[in-house]
Amino acid sequence: MLAKLALRNVRRSAKDYLVYFFTMTVVVALMFAFNSLIFSGEVHDMFQGVEVMEVMLGLATFFIVLIVAWLINYMIRFILEKRSREFGIYLLLGMEKRQIARLYMRESVLLGAGAFLAGLVFGVLVQQILMSILYSMVLSDFRINIEFSRGCLIMTASCYAGCYLLALLRCKRKLKKMNIHGLMNAERQNEEIKESHEGLKRWLLPLSVLFLALFGAWLFYGKEWGTHTIILFLVGLVLVIYLFYMGLSAWIISYVRHEGNAIYAGQNLFLLRQFASKIRTMRFTMGTLTALFVLAFLGCSVAMMFNFYENQMLGDKMPFDIHIHSAYVEDDFATELSVIENNVPIKEAYAYHIYENGTDVVNVWLYTHLKVFGDAYRKADGTPDLEAIRGERDFAAYCRYDTYMGISDYNHLRKLLGLDTVALADDEYIIHIKDRVFRETGDFSDQLAIEGNGGALRFAGFHTEPFSQDGHNGGDYVIVVSDDEIAKMRPFYAQLAVELGGETPEDLRNLLDDATRELDFKTSDPISDIDITAMLNETECVGSDSILVWGANNLVRDNILVEMKCMLSTMIFPLTYIGLVFLCVALTVLSVQQLSDSAKYKFRYKVLRQIGMGAKEIAGLVLKQLFLFYLCPALFAAVIGGIIAGYVGGKFNFYAGVRTPAAVYFGISLMLFLGVYSVYFVVTYVGFLRNIESGR
Amino acid sequence: MNGYINVCDVEKYYGSEAGMTKAVDRVSFQVDEGEFVGVMGASGSGKTTLLNMLATIDNVTAGHIYYQETDITELKPDRLAKFRKENLGFVFQDYNLLDTLTIGENIVLAMTLQKKGKKEIKKESEEMMRLLGIWEIRNQFPYQVSGGQKQRCACARALINHPKLLLADEPTGALDSRAAETLLETFQRLNETRKATIFMVTHDAFSASYCSRILFLKDGKIFHELVRGQKGRREFLNCILDVLSVTGGEGDAR
Repeated sequence: MLAKLALRNVRRSAKDYLVYFFTMTVVVALMFAFNSLIFSGEVHDMFQGVEVMEVMLGLATFFIVLIVAWLINYMIRFILEKRSREFGIYLLLGMEKRQIARLYMRESVLLGAGAFLAGLVFGVLVQQILMSILYSMVLSDFRINIEFSRGCLIMTASCYAGCYLLALLRCKRKLKKMNIHGLMNAERQNEEIKESHEGLKRWLLPLSVLFLALFGAWLFYGKEWGTHTIILFLVGLVLVIYLFYMGLSAWIISYVRHEGNAIYAGQNLFLLRQFASKIRTMRFTMGTLTALFVLAFLGCSVAMMFNFYENQMLGDKMPFDIHIHSAYVEDDFATELSVIENNVPIKEAYAYHIYENGTDVVNVWLYTHLKVFGDAYRKADGTPDLEAIRGERDFAAYCRYDTYMGISDYNHLRKLLGLDTVALADDEYIIHIKDRVFRETGDFSDQLAIEGNGGALRFAGFHTEPFSQDGHNGGDYVIVVSDDEIAKMRPFYAQLAVELGGETPEDLRNLLDDATRELDFKTSDPISDIDITAMLNETECVGSDSILVWGANNLVRDNILVEMKCMLSTMIFPLTYIGLVFLCVALTVLSVQQLSDSAKYKFRYKVLRQIGMGAKEIAGLVLKQLFLFYLCPALFAAVIGGIIAGYVGGKFNFYAGVRTPAAVYFGISLMLFLGVYSVYFVVTYVGFLRNIESGR
Repeated sequence: MNGYINVCDVEKYYGSEAGMTKAVDRVSFQVDEGEFVGVMGASGSGKTTLLNMLATIDNVTAGHIYYQETDITELKPDRLAKFRKENLGFVFQDYNLLDTLTIGENIVLAMTLQKKGKKEIKKESEEMMRLLGIWEIRNQFPYQVSGGQKQRCACARALINHPKLLLADEPTGALDSRAAETLLETFQRLNETRKATIFMVTHDAFSASYCSRILFLKDGKIFHELVRGQKGRREFLNCILDVLSVTGGEGDAR
């Protein structure tokens, strides 16, 4: 009998709490799809750095389990409250508490199991979408391949069961404490509106706004960030998120109490009162929802940053099909060329040298002026700390000396890249510099003195096209001088740029690395008088990039792009995952709250009908009411998220060199947010109207 | 048509042809301006159905209801809502106040929906609240005041827009005898001083004794009518009880 009752109740709750059921289905589907990335054999074979992805997804899963457990707990308690009268009647009829608890738990588990099965089916579809995105991100062809690995299934089931277990344990305590009177009255509890100290509480609203303004100013303009300041602001932010709603509600109540003009227009009085009383009773939940929205915004925004970085910057990082660096200036690259030729036709190969003349004027200027280095290479009096600049050489941004290139080599490489050639007089020099660095420095030629053989050279301009400047054509920059000048300098290191005549084989980089490793080993001759370590150290640099640094002698663009994109995916995917789940959880709570209110308080709309509002007017009123209720936490979260995302985006752009305005990352997240938001909004609106129409 | 409100051959059927229930069966009557009309009858006699049709919240199956020249049975839903807003006021047994609004705001809302100005709203609502003795509790929420006060608030809300007709469905049903008496006296005062036209459904003879005319309904038909004329309230109550004793209706003499 109990089982039958449980089943019937589940069917009814599923209908009442369709949004919750839908979200649980989506959560299972997302869990399954993302977990399948960890367990997919194909992904393991194809992607390097999959371990990082596993760790990141594992981390994301941890937070998601916590939040979903919160949702389940919230919903179970919420449904319990809504059905308290029914449980009271069971108790009156003589059912034992234990029986009722078992009945309710059984129902919850049945509802959860239903959502789990539906989620798995939906999950297979999401898995395919996810895979196709992952494949398209890393330039591979995607064929539909449904993987149903046991590990993935077990992990999804355990995460899901973990959420339920956490939630049910907490709820069991509540069920134990119930009594008939409490249950019969639980429904009425939040109808009482207690208004006290509104005049004081309302000041929390301007205080919250002021704090946010200060927070923004501190983020964008603050210089000294001690640990104490950071902790203080973060604690303040969390407090503000919660206190804001108390303040807002009190402000509206005070406004209504003081008979502000707006309450005398149309349905405003009803709307304001309805809104104020709702956010007052739900202020804690609203705070939590805002926090979830903020995290969802930030997760999506950061994912967007990496996505833009991938689309804009990766291609620019390696303009040549293959670019090989050798510290040995006599290197003829015969071994490398034969490895390449054995695997793919070569359209053109060009070997050249980078030169030095024993000076480090540009290096010193960049080390002491770029923000990324801070004060690391400056003495206390602001003068360059030459010892630090010239001493430490591990993972150096720049080579030991300034890097030079002859105009013929330069123009040849430009032609290879499809760029126009440039003219240069004998007494002139140009600087080819990374666009990102140039945007920060501007024209700094007047602060440089580049000496040629016959005296100071004249500056003839900057060029900023992508030019492989992560240690190959210099780190960040290369100075281009006439061939006469270059003839008088010493070759610093050797370079080989290759344009391929066919598709790059997948393992070309590994083949090249293997071949050159053997070469390195052979030339490490103990009898030779060359100090190999010193030579390698002096000629190796990676430039000042800091988001994704790839220092390697052999750059095979198409191979490395795949690896870099894999690395970026390890950030993008888990962040999107977190963002989506948090968003769905928060919207579900909003939706279910409103839908259950619409059923509980449908008499309010009946009264409005009686005092003369037509069906259309009431539909409009409900729309406004839902809009306010949905928009408030979203808007508040958008302000907080916008401030933080704007700041993080600005920093990201600064270091990554992406040209997209920081607002765009946030804007796209907002659009994505609005997409998911509209689905929940429409479902709630339709359900709300249906609920208040029923029983008319 | 001479009456202020004319109900002509109104019928209301429920169910399918196989199992038809005639809730209201060819009922006709008139209500004059400023009249306080009561409708009595046993449970299921069709009195609330009749009130709902007059209130435009239920449709007639056949027949017409005229408010002066307007036939409300011909109006489209949107026009009906407008008509309701401009011409009718309601008082129900369960008060139907909005629980998120204070007593005062419940009355103000009814006026703001009519797009009245702030000054007028403030002046008239204060006047009305003072008249009904709820001015002191205007800042309380419905859950904080007594049933009688809630019902007086409902009355104030119903009358604030000067409706052509005040419809009351068992208004004293949830009140104790003292509060019921106060409410009925209020109705009478409003009827006398403000010339409010009132149409009240009740099964309680004591409440009905405040009316100027009573229609008795049985099985959906009017089977008797009592006019108070010059009689005193107690005398009229006895007449009502006499009718009820004949018909076996519920009576409650206080």
